[in-house]
Amino acid sequence: MPGEASMSAAIIGAAEANDIGYPQTPKSSLTLHIEAINNVCEMTGIPIKAIDGIFSAGWSPQIAEYLGLHPKYIDTTAVGGCSFEMHVHHALAAIHAGVIDVALVTHGEMGFSQRFTGGKGTGRPFGGGDPWDPGTQHTSAYGLGGAPTSYSHALNRHMARYGTTQEDFAEIAVVTREWATLNPRAVMYRKAGEGDLPPLEKGEWGGGKRGHTFGGPITVDTVMNSRPISWPIKLLDVCLVTDHGGAVLITGPELAKTSKTPPVWIAGAGESISHWNMLEMGEFTKTSASRSAAAAYKMAGMGPEDMEMAMIYDSFTVTAGITAEMLGLAPEGEGFRLWKDRHAAPGGRLPINTNGGGLSFNHSGMYGMQLLVEAYRQLSGTAEDGGFSGDPGKQTSARSCVVNGTGGSLSTTGTLVLVSDD
Amino acid sequence: MAEYTKPIPSPDPVSQPFWDGAKEGKLMLPRCDDCNRVHWYPRVICPFCHSMNIEWVEATGKGTIHTFAVQHNKGLVARGWGDEVPYVSAYIDLAEGDRMLTVLKGVDPNDPESIEIGGAVQIEFEEASEDVHIPFWRPV
Ligand SMILES: [Zn+2]
Repeated sequence: MPGEASMSAAIIGAAEANDIGYPQTPKSSLTLHIEAINNVCEMTGIPIKAIDGIFSAGWSPQIAEYLGLHPKYIDTTAVGGCSFEMHVHHALAAIHAGVIDVALVTHGEMGFSQRFTGGKGTGRPFGGGDPWDPGTQHTSAYGLGGAPTSYSHALNRHMARYGTTQEDFAEIAVVTREWATLNPRAVMYRKAGEGDLPPLEKGEWGGGKRGHTFGGPITVDTVMNSRPISWPIKLLDVCLVTDHGGAVLITGPELAKTSKTPPVWIAGAGESISHWNMLEMGEFTKTSASRSAAAAYKMAGMGPEDMEMAMIYDSFTVTAGITAEMLGLAPEGEGFRLWKDRHAAPGGRLPINTNGGGLSFNHSGMYGMQLLVEAYRQLSGTAEDGGFSGDPGKQTSARSCVVNGTGGSLSTTGTLVLVSDD
Repeated sequence: MAEYTKPIPSPDPVSQPFWDGAKEGKLMLPRCDDCNRVHWYPRVICPFCHSMNIEWVEATGKGTIHTFAVQHNKGLVARGWGDEVPYVSAYIDLAEGDRMLTVLKGVDPNDPESIEIGGAVQIEFEEASEDVHIPFWRPV
């Protein structure tokens, strides 16, 4: 029996900013937000002024002010990359409760371009570490900083506990790259200078149709031979650092009928947290996705066996591998097999990360919006028609998708079960 | 004493007994007076039973490695640690319960297979400043 809120709202459109990946000219995070919002409203035919609920990872007051909106529901949940899946959960609840009619979930992040602006334009919605904060106080002495320095501990634990290998996880990067070679929007779509492509100019980063120095297909050896970052994590186990903007609109059934683009129904939603600082993580091979997924499946009245595709946060290969286990898509210790045995690959029984993932498509720091946009594109058929961006990208015939965001240091998770319109 | 160039934690009123113990080479841990469980990091409330009766006890300083990683990338680690890559960070399961983050001493970062998850370790303290002695762990 599905829960009461199941199917009471739908994502009626999803769009990205005009420039994603490695733009030639930096745009501020705010601009990336606004471009995506404008695009999703144009795509659906729902005017910006109809938005009465704003959901973003820390940006909602700025977005409301910038657009001259006076929303009735303001949500700034910012708990890392899964924030956007949680926003969809919260928007579903708010619409189901009759509090709002049109929810905007929005994202803008200049993960790539900030290196050229010295941090200007990022908005810095997050505070720094307070030296008295216990997580900071009892970990800062040991120098761990960037996300790879902590996620590597989970990969090593998985290898020790289940006898898995670095090569097993490399398979995830290889298959995900294969998907990217089918997506012209993906940074790693193809290799620069190949065929009749002109070589990249000095200082040009490329990506997408322009090609990337390290783009195109890779093998397990390519991953294994990439430089060590935080053993056992190597460079190609790690996601990209890009720019991205994205926005989705969510409404109830009546307004969904007025959209120019088809609804993708929110059958189930759930969220959870196991810790914030990795110091407080329990068993390092398990995440709260088991709890957030249980809630989402319960609301949907569906289970992992009903899922025809999956969008799984892949900040690192280990994130995807472990999460597949937590979502019930594979037995514990065997998540990587979905990729190694090619079930997750193009033509497989359970396509995973059809956009090329955070590993090879785009990862701006928080990747949850990219998951939503791709799930919408696949389930709505908008990608089939060339997509709103004008690029093809309908890769699957899937009509149901489990979407799982992971935030922090394997800390927070948001899970959605999305289904196509009948 | 040579100048300590890596980050030095800032003790706060809640954690002060831990740092006081560290100066004497003792591992002091907060323990709940009601459920008797030890927790880490220090809190004013027990995370297991939510009692606010917390006392400090001297621990054995023994533990085992829950997991570890080898930090290779200067750009991803804090200032001061960049000069020490590769180095081995680890999460330690304390003999008394719960877990600490640390850097392992006396291990070979270039041979991670020689380091054992589940292996026994012992705490030691390094004087970073007059007030702050930082705990590190070493395989026994
Ligand atoms: Zn207690």
